[in-house]
Parts: sequence; C-alpha cells; structure tokens
Amino acid sequence: MAAYLSMGEAHRRISDYLSRLDVAISQSDGADLASLLAISSAPASTPLSDALAAFPDFARLAADRFPHLSDFLPLLLRAIHSHSLRRFGDAYSSFEKAASAFLQEFRNWETPWAMEAMHIVALEIRLLAEKADRELVMSGKNPDKLQAAGSFLMKVFGALAVKGPKRVGALYVTCQLFKIYFRLGTVNLCRSVIRSIETARNFDFEDFPVKDKVTYMYYTGRLEVFNENFLVADQKLTYALMHCNPQSESNLRKILKFLIPVKLSIGVLPRRSLLEKYNLLEYADIVTSLRRGDLRLLKQALDRHEDQLLKCGVYLVLEKLELQVYRRLVKKIHIIQREKEPSKAHQIKLEVLVKTLQWLGITMDVDEVECIMACLIYKNLIKGYFAHKSKVLVLSKQDPFPKLNGKPV
Amino acid sequence: MASHGAAPAAGSDAARVEVSGTGQTNQPAYPPFVSGDHSWSSSTGAAAAAASWNYPVANQSQDAVYYDPQRDVSVSGDNQNVASSAPPAVQSTMGLTNASHSHVPYASSLQQGYNPAEYANYYYNYPQATNSCSAQQGGANQHPGAAYQPLTSFQNSGSYIDPSSNTYYNAGGHQTAPGYATSNYYYQTDTRNDGSSGNNYAQSYQNYPSSDTNAAQSSSTVPANSFSYQQQYNQWPYYYNQSVPTPAGNPVAGSSNIDNTAVNTTSGYSYPSMEPPPPGTTPWKSNSGASVAPPVQVPSVPEPQNQYVQHAQVTPVLQNQYAYQAPGVPVAQNYYANQAPAYPQNNMNVNQAPLNNHGDQQKSGSLTTGIFSENKTQIPIIPRIAPGFSMVIPKSEKKIVGADLAKKPAYVSVSVPKNDGAAVQHGPDARSLPFSLRNYATRNLSRCKDEAQRAACQSMIQQITGKAISNGTLLTKNWDTEPLIPLQENLLTMTETSSANNSSSLSKSTPKRRLKSRWEPVPEEKVTEKVEQLAKALMNGNTHNNLKAQIRMGDSWNLGKSLQSPHTPSNKIAHRLSKKQKMGSYSSVVQNGNASSDSDKEKDLTKYYANASALANSPEEKKRREHRSKRFEKSKDSSSKSRNSAVNKDAGAHIHTRRPISALVTGSYKDGSSLAVEDMDWDALTVKGTCQEIEKRYLRLTSAPDPSTVRPEHVLEKALSMVETSQKNYLYKCDQLKSIRQDLTVQRIQNELTVKVYETHARLALQAGDLPEFNQCQSQLKRLYREGNNGCYFEFAAYNLLCVMLHSSNKRDLLSSMASLSKEAKQDGAVKHALAVHAAVSSGNYVIFFKLYKQGPNLNSCLMDLYVERMRFEAIKCMSRSYRPTVPVGYVAQVLGFLLNGDDRSEECEIWLKAHGAVLSVDNSGELQIDTKASSSMLFMPEPENAVAHGDASLAVNDFFARTS
Repeated sequence: MAAYLSMGEAHRRISDYLSRLDVAISQSDGADLASLLAISSAPASTPLSDALAAFPDFARLAADRFPHLSDFLPLLLRAIHSHSLRRFGDAYSSFEKAASAFLQEFRNWETPWAMEAMHIVALEIRLLAEKADRELVMSGKNPDKLQAAGSFLMKVFGALAVKGPKRVGALYVTCQLFKIYFRLGTVNLCRSVIRSIETARNFDFEDFPVKDKVTYMYYTGRLEVFNENFLVADQKLTYALMHCNPQSESNLRKILKFLIPVKLSIGVLPRRSLLEKYNLLEYADIVTSLRRGDLRLLKQALDRHEDQLLKCGVYLVLEKLELQVYRRLVKKIHIIQREKEPSKAHQIKLEVLVKTLQWLGITMDVDEVECIMACLIYKNLIKGYFAHKSKVLVLSKQDPFPKLNGKPV
Repeated sequence: MASHGAAPAAGSDAARVEVSGTGQTNQPAYPPFVSGDHSWSSSTGAAAAAASWNYPVANQSQDAVYYDPQRDVSVSGDNQNVASSAPPAVQSTMGLTNASHSHVPYASSLQQGYNPAEYANYYYNYPQATNSCSAQQGGANQHPGAAYQPLTSFQNSGSYIDPSSNTYYNAGGHQTAPGYATSNYYYQTDTRNDGSSGNNYAQSYQNYPSSDTNAAQSSSTVPANSFSYQQQYNQWPYYYNQSVPTPAGNPVAGSSNIDNTAVNTTSGYSYPSMEPPPPGTTPWKSNSGASVAPPVQVPSVPEPQNQYVQHAQVTPVLQNQYAYQAPGVPVAQNYYANQAPAYPQNNMNVNQAPLNNHGDQQKSGSLTTGIFSENKTQIPIIPRIAPGFSMVIPKSEKKIVGADLAKKPAYVSVSVPKNDGAAVQHGPDARSLPFSLRNYATRNLSRCKDEAQRAACQSMIQQITGKAISNGTLLTKNWDTEPLIPLQENLLTMTETSSANNSSSLSKSTPKRRLKSRWEPVPEEKVTEKVEQLAKALMNGNTHNNLKAQIRMGDSWNLGKSLQSPHTPSNKIAHRLSKKQKMGSYSSVVQNGNASSDSDKEKDLTKYYANASALANSPEEKKRREHRSKRFEKSKDSSSKSRNSAVNKDAGAHIHTRRPISALVTGSYKDGSSLAVEDMDWDALTVKGTCQEIEKRYLRLTSAPDPSTVRPEHVLEKALSMVETSQKNYLYKCDQLKSIRQDLTVQRIQNELTVKVYETHARLALQAGDLPEFNQCQSQLKRLYREGNNGCYFEFAAYNLLCVMLHSSNKRDLLSSMASLSKEAKQDGAVKHALAVHAAVSSGNYVIFFKLYKQGPNLNSCLMDLYVERMRFEAIKCMSRSYRPTVPVGYVAQVLGFLLNGDDRSEECEIWLKAHGAVLSVDNSGELQIDTKASSSMLFMPEPENAVAHGDASLAVNDFFARTS
C-alpha cells in the first residue's frame, strides 16, 4: 500500500501527525500526547508509517515545520519508521534520543500535565529495548539496549522523584525499572530506587496510584523472597494481592506464585481450589505432601518442576519445606501410636521412623534420621528431646507439635 | 569565608596603586586574591603529594613548584603595596625590601608550611598577607628537599643543553625576544617552549645547590639553620624569574604576547595535582627525561590550528579545574583575544577572564621589581653552580635589570588599558577580533562549496560577530566550540536554533531559567533585554566567583588532605572538582552555547561528564560525543576512575594520531588511564614472546610487556608441566602460574592451554586453601568455558556451586548457579555431590554433610573444609539442644567427621568440644559424655587461634608458609 501513496498524501499525513503532537504539547494535553507517543503497540503498517516510508525526507519536514521541537520530532518519526520496518535496534536508538529531549522538556514543565506521556515514554523505552535486545541476540550481538533503557529510566526516575507534584509518577517508573532489573538479573540495582521511595518523608506511599503500589509491592515482595525474609515478603505480597484488581487474573496468579511458597513456609496451606483457579498446580503436590507428610511426593514434585521453580526463584524456599514434611510424618506416627498404645504415645522409637521412611522409598540410616529429629527439635518444630542411649524420640506431653503461627522455620 | 577579609583589602590597594600609575580606572580589584587562592589550594595539595610521590610522577610535583612562584608573586605584590603605596617607578627599589620583608616571616612560619598535613595552618595564615607568603615558601621549599633530588640527577645527565634555547633561564624572555618583533606564532610558541624548558633548568638548577640543606631540613623538622634559610631564600628570585620571565626582559612592543607565553606556561603547570597529566605537562616529562624532547613538541606547534589543538587538549580536561587551580588560563585567553591572538581558547569563564587579568598583571608588575634586585643577589651563585655555562648569562642578567627598570611601567600602562578596553567595554575594534573567531570564520568559509554559499556564510559570520560584539560575548564566547554555520540550504533553520540557543543560554544565566519550556513558542527577545540579562549574568557570575573562591578555600583543605597518596585520591579530587563545577556552571554556561541537559548534569554524573568534557558543538564532535556517552553507559558500573579517564580521553580526542605512541609512553606510569580500552588497537599492541626460559618469576607489569621477557605458547606448555611436576611449595607454584597467566594474557592466548593453566592454579589454590586466588581463577574459567574452551567443566561447576553455597551464601547467586546447570551436568558425580551438600546444609543435616565430606570427589572436600568448623558448631548447638540427658563424645566424633580414615580421633573431638565450651562428664560405664543441658548455654565459637589483626588468617605469612611448604 505504501507504494501507492502519493507524496502529497504522505506529506499531509505526516504533517497531520506532527501538528497533533504540537497541539498536544502547546495545549498541555497529556492524554493525547501519550496516545501519539505509543509507538511500539502499533501494527507494522499504519497510515503514518506508510507515509513515512513514502516520504523519506520526513526528518527535515519535521525540523522545518516545528523548529522548536527539532530535537524531538525528527527522532520520533525516525523511531516510528524504524519500528515499522522492524529494525528495533535503530528504533530504540532514535526513540531514546527523542525521549531524552522529551525528558529535558518534561523537567522544565512545572505541572505534571505530561505525566501520562512520560509514562508512555518510559514504557515504550522498555518495550523497544526488549525488542531491540531480541534482535541483537538473533544477530549474535551483545544485547545491551535493555541495560541502556535502565540507565535512561534512572534519569527519568531522578526527574520524578523530587518534591512536588511530579512525585506521584515516580512509582510507575520505579516499577518499569524493576521489570528491567529482574529481567536482566541485576536486582541489586533495585535497592537504591527502593530506598528513595521508602525513605521519603514528604510523600506518603499510600498517595501513589494503586496500580503502581501493587506492582511495587509485588516486586519488593519477590526481592524479600530472595532474601528469605518470609515475614516481610508475606506482608508485601499480601498487600499486592489485596489491592490487585480482582479482574486481572494473570496478575493475581503472578502474585500467588510467590505468595504461596511464602505462606507454605510459615505454615499456611492453600486450598486446592485456589491452586486450580489460578493454574498453580505445580504447587499442588507439594501442598499434598505437606498435608500427608509424604516426603517422597515432595521430592518428586520438586524434581519435576525444578527448572521452573529455580527460574522463578522459589526453589530454595520450597526445598526447606522438607522439615515440615518430616514433622507431619512424626505427628502422624504419634497419632497412630496414641490410638494403639496411649501410655507410650509420646515415645517414638527411632526404628519406627526409619522403617516408615523405608516404606516411602527413602533409605536413610539411623544416624541420619536421628539427626533429622534433632534438627526438628532444635528448630522448634517438635517439642521434646531425643534420648541417644535408647534411640527414642520423647515428645512433650503438651502440644508436642506447636503451630508455626506465621513464624518461619 | 572570613579569612578573606584582610586579603581583599590589600588587594584593592594594590590595584589602585597600579591604576593610578597608569591613569586607568580599574574596576575589579578582588580577583587577584581569588587567583591567589586557587594557587594556594593547588600547591598545598601538590606539596603533600610531592612528599609521597616517587620518581615516575616527579614531573608532576615539579609542576607544582612551578606554579608556586606565580602564587608567591601575587602575594608579594600585595606586600609591596601594603608596605608603601609607592608609584610603580619606585617599586624597583622596593623589590629588595619586599623580598626581605617576605623573608622574615618565612623563618617564623616555616614549620607550619613544612608539614604537609597541616593545611589548616595554611589556611589560617592566609588572612595575614605577609605571613601567607612565607607559609607558601615553606610549602614550596619542601619540594626541593623531598621530591627534587631525583630531578637534579637527571638534570646532570645533560639536559642543560636545550636544543632550542641557548641561554640560561630567561631564554624565552631575552634572547629570543628580538624574534618577537617579527612576531609570528611559530616563534612565540617556540619561545614559549624554550621559556618553559629554560625555567625547568633554572628551577632544578636552583635545587641543586640547596638540595643538601633541604634534605637536612626535611630530616630535621625544625631547621634553625640560618644559612639554609638564606639558601632557600635565594632560590626564590629564580622562582620569580621562572614564572614571569618575559615581562622582565621584554623590550619589544609585543610585551603581552610574551606575557602570554609566560602565563601560559605557568598555567600549564597549575594542573599538576590532577591524576592524568594534561598534555601540556607531557612534553615536560619527556623534556626532563631526555633533552631531545623539545623538538618533539615543536613540530606540533607551528600551525595555528595545532596550537589550538594543544590547548584544547588542556582546556577540556581542565574545565573542572578552572574553578580551582587555573587562574592563569583565563588570563591567557584574554590576552589572546587582544593581541593578534595565537591561541584561540575555550574561553570558559567570562567573568574570571577580565578580572583575573588585572590580578595577574599586578602580579607580574610587582614581580618584576622583585626580580632584578634578587637577580643581583643571585649572580654570585651562578658561576659556582654552572661553571660551564656560556657567557650569555651575565649579559642577560644585566639585561634584566636594565629592561626592568626601563620597561616595567611601560608594560603596565600598555597592557592594562588594552585589556580594559577589550574586555570591559567590549569595543568593536576590528583589530581585537579574537583569533579564535577568525579561525571560526575560516572554518566556516572553508566548508562552503560555491561562491553563493561563501557569500552567505560571510554575511552570517558578520552578523554573528556583530551580535557578539553588541552583547559583549565577542571575547568570551567560545568560538572554537561554536557550531559551524550550516550551509545555505538549511541556513534559515539553523540560525533560528542558534538564536534559540543564545537566548536559552542567556536565560540560563538568569536565576529563573526554567520557567518557560523551550518547546513552547519562543517570543523574540529584544537585544537590550539580552544585554541587560547578560549584565545580570555577569554580576551573578561575579558573586559566583567570590562564592567559588570561598568554596575553594574550604576545598583546598580537602584537596591537600586527600592528596596524600598520589593516585587514587586525585581521582576523587577530579570527581569533586567536577562536582564543584556545577556551582560555577551559571557563569560558564553563558558562553557555552550548548543548551542541552543542564539539569541532566544534576541527575546523572555519567551523562554530565560526557557533556561537560566536550563542548564542541560541531557535528562530528557531536557524533563522537554520542558514541562516547554510549560507551560510558556501558561501563557505568566501573569506578569513577575509569569515568574520569574517559573524560580525559575525551579531551585528548584531538590528538588521535599521537595515541598509539602515548599509549606506550603513558602506559608505563599511568596504567593507560588516558585511553579507553575500546580505542586501543589490541592487535597492534599484542606481544609475541620470544623468551625461551621455562621458569619465570611473576612481576606485576608496570609498563608495556617486553617481548624478550614473554614466553611463547610452547614454552608456556613446558612451564606448566614443570609446575605440575615440581616438588616445591605452593608459593613457588603460585608465583610460577601467575607468571604463566600473565604471559598468556599479554599474548592474548585463550585456548585449552589457558584453561589448563587456570584449572591447575585453581586446584592448587584449593589445596592450599587460598580462596582469593581460587576465585580469580574460577571467574576466568567461567568466562573461558562460556567462550567454548574445553576443560573440566563439571568439576569446576561443582566447585562453583560449593563456593557459592558455602562461602558467599548469596541465595540469588546460588539460584542462578543451579539454574544454569544443564541436565548432563546434574548427572555428573561431582555436581551431584555438590547438590547433595547443598541439601544437607540447607536442612542442617550435619550427619549427611560429614558423610559427604568424607566422600567428596575431586577437591570438593577442600572447599567443604573451609565450612567444616561452622557446620560442627551448628551441629553441636543442635545436639545440646535436642539430646537429653547426654550424648557420648564417641558418637559426636563419629558424626562430626572426626573419624577420618577410620582411626579413632575422639580425643581430637574432645579437645574441640572443650574449646567450644561443651561440658563433658564421664558416666558410670566410663564413657565420656557431653552433658547437653549444661552445655547448651555454654557453647561459644572460640576466636580462631591464628586470628590476625587484619582478619584474614591466610595472609599471616608464617602460617601460610607452614601450611604450604
């Protein structure tokens, strides 16, 4: 279609687009400006991109018609053009330059009218960088655009995280940064951003938009999972879950993906229906094993989903559930013994435990099992003591299996 | 700062005296002190540095001294004028009194100045104008004692014979002075070089006789030897001569031209404390190293363009420093603007330029008086020092005296008004068009393709010039960085933008510069408004200058403090300086038509460096800058040092051609920091070794590798097998392997042999428990494996896992290490073992841990070794908590791995338990038991016996020897 486009028509379309941008800027119409800047969501062929293809001198046209925007419009058009040609590396480079010019102006605007547009720019930068990196990897080059986008967004963050009305928009950029850092695996870079968000005295966190708060809590919660700070992680992820839009199931799922392991490790088990609803069945077997004290099932489940769990970073958390499964097993033995022999219910012979484990297909010698029991007592999962001479685990008469009550193991 | 109080008063006095003598009204009187201030801070810093610097950087400390004279000059000038407001003509006689005047307090304050750590003293001295002078002397005097002795040695090696200078020290000033009459630039620069080299000699020469006494002084902190004072005092005339050799012997009309050279040279010296020596000092280095060096520099000078380049090298680097240490530079710039200017400069500080000018002239004016009188006193010494010198010396001495007496007032009266007229009134004198502007015009015209373009361009230039004259930026504008006028087709738009640029740069200088967006339609500003704004900006800048001076005062203290070790701290300084430049950006941005990202600077230092360093706006420069700023982003995690060096490199971008050479030259003592890694042609620099010896000691390279000491690959293979079969201890092997690694690196050999070397070293390091060395090898191996070199990948994957889980305990690293394991890797025995260890540690299962400890494949156990103590302690805590009433020691010894190789070592276990506070008892069967209840509260982790103060026991040499031999 592009081929049939007359120069005049192309010129008209481009001029039209440019003047819309110009009007949006001069009238401080943030929403309109934002919609005009969203380039990466556009399909490969739009009226504008066709026009750009038909009118190769668009950069000068833009510079001539709007000289005061000459550091912005030509680059923006070039970015759109490159994007439509699927040359994402070029598109990213042009767009980043245009975005710097935009940021420069954004700083100068006293009111945050262009916040929406700034957010779109931040989003576009990230999306384009991701596309550009994919392109770079395909051509065997070093994908560095996302990293560049990260440093650009840091600048944007710097422009927003100031006193005044613009600060409201800072959290959005923070979340974009989180996305980049998590993707790049450089999550330690999050720390500085978090500090500047959380230590701010002059701006209450609750004043940020809800959607940003949820995203922020989700990512910081994930960071706490990494650090095995389960209580804080629980708090943050729960906040995210409670405030998340109940309609957006995929987001809920993402939150639950991390919240469930956290909850498991503090002794809270989910219903199966929840796992089914959000398609988190990789946790189903683990939950079952915790219920049953089935150590074999736990190991199988971990093995089966190992790659996936390692990738999202909850493997180590789930691995630690082992002790809870042992405890469940001991508890079950204790219950059975109490029915059979109430007088000796609180004394569990080590050989019984070893035999039980053998039934589960796990071969462990006496010393190893003894050690596990010692650990259970040491970590307050079981109340009681171990008599080494007689090889008997002696449970406390009252409340031998204290509830975790939100305490991590 | 309060301390300014006294000084400015004296300064204004001085200014007025001069003015009355020449019949000129001289507005700015304070700036001399600002400049005095600068020099102060820089030289105190340098004084501290000089004390600790060693030979390779000696030229830097040397520079520091060069600078001193200038500073002294300014202060002694005040003295003079404070002492008596005599007319300039009489000052000639005053010189002597002045000198002696400054000599007296010198004795009293020497101790203060002497100790480089006591910057505070400098600072306190400052308000007392007379005292300060002597304090400086003290500071400077230290140099000869500490740092200059090496200089005297090279000086003896024949560097007296300067190929281009035939006189002793005033070479530039006197002998070649006639040449100025026919004055072309070549000659000037020539003499400039000569002058500087001449100075060099004079300087080091001076140190030569006095070095003994100085050395004595530096050893005995409080020298009460009056003779040495005399000696040192006598030195000062020479310093004076050096700093202002030209005004003294300046019989020609081009007096201020020569002054330029003088100021220039000194300004060149004023950068010494910066880590990378500005190119201006590099020739110095070569000069001092060999007397052949000056010609090297000369060829690069003759072309005007090149002259500029040379300065451009200096100036961009020093932008930051302007605010601090380079009061001389702006002066020089202005001179250039007035005379048929040889050096178009990046004229950065509008305000400073005219102001400092006066100050400098005062300095030189009052200085000259000092010079000849002291020259007289100096004459007797000269024959003693240099009997081989030509007869020119006495002549020139006489000349100085005569010329000074005659010329000095004339000099003042000539140059001051010129200066004033141009800089303050901005008179549109065609003759005073700065050379840089002409250059700018030529550049523009040369781009034109046809006559029409040329005509248009010419008119554009005229317009621009007219505008510059009308708003007073003619001399202050940085013509060299001004964007070239676009060729005709897009002429219109560009003029618009350039006017926009102008207006925005103007509005930037006013406090409320961000009110209006550039993107919103720009209303036309009236010229008068602009002028008004500019005036405001100037005022602003003025106050800024004062403010800056105060900051500098404060900063000088820091400066000196952080300069105690020469290398890294100076980076910090550069950093700080550049930060400080932000303070001054209001004034400096005025000329800088570059309206981009001012606020970026506040936010992002990286970007800021990129912007600040290259001010040139020409398209190719822009492109280069973009390229560079990208590179900065890439290396943004690297230290400020590398950033800094990148900036320097930026500055040096004008000297592409000299790079490969300078890479080798600077590489010897600068670690190549003046070059970006990417810009080096590695292939050209890669060494092909020729050394055939198998054994080689490791020595950290401090210069470019010498092929004759580098072993080629086949020799390295032999060396590796020699190490593998060697019976010697770990230290020897480590040393050998490091030298092999070095040879591999410098020859850029990355193949299986490299992998083998690193693997061998890593294993040896593990066996010796040398974790740091192991980590080095491990990280190299990771990279080598990733690049597809074959090796024992699984073995080292297992080591990596163990290392991460046991020693770094970073969960994310562990996760990524585990996630990166392939299916095959997980089947490997060693990796499986490592994963099992991980499982045991994470569940706290000490029994399994010690079982695995016993059966570790490869060197897995060696890595676990380092974790054993912690695991045992954890285990015993667990046991004492969960076992009741007792647990037998024999059992503990068995589970906690005390029974290695089957032999019963429960005694060892007993000792270990006791050392950790366990309570032991013997039960009725005679078996030793741990009383768990009693122990549970008693357990503690003992201080390791081999604990050392620095925290790393493996660094304790004796222990290390014991373990490894």
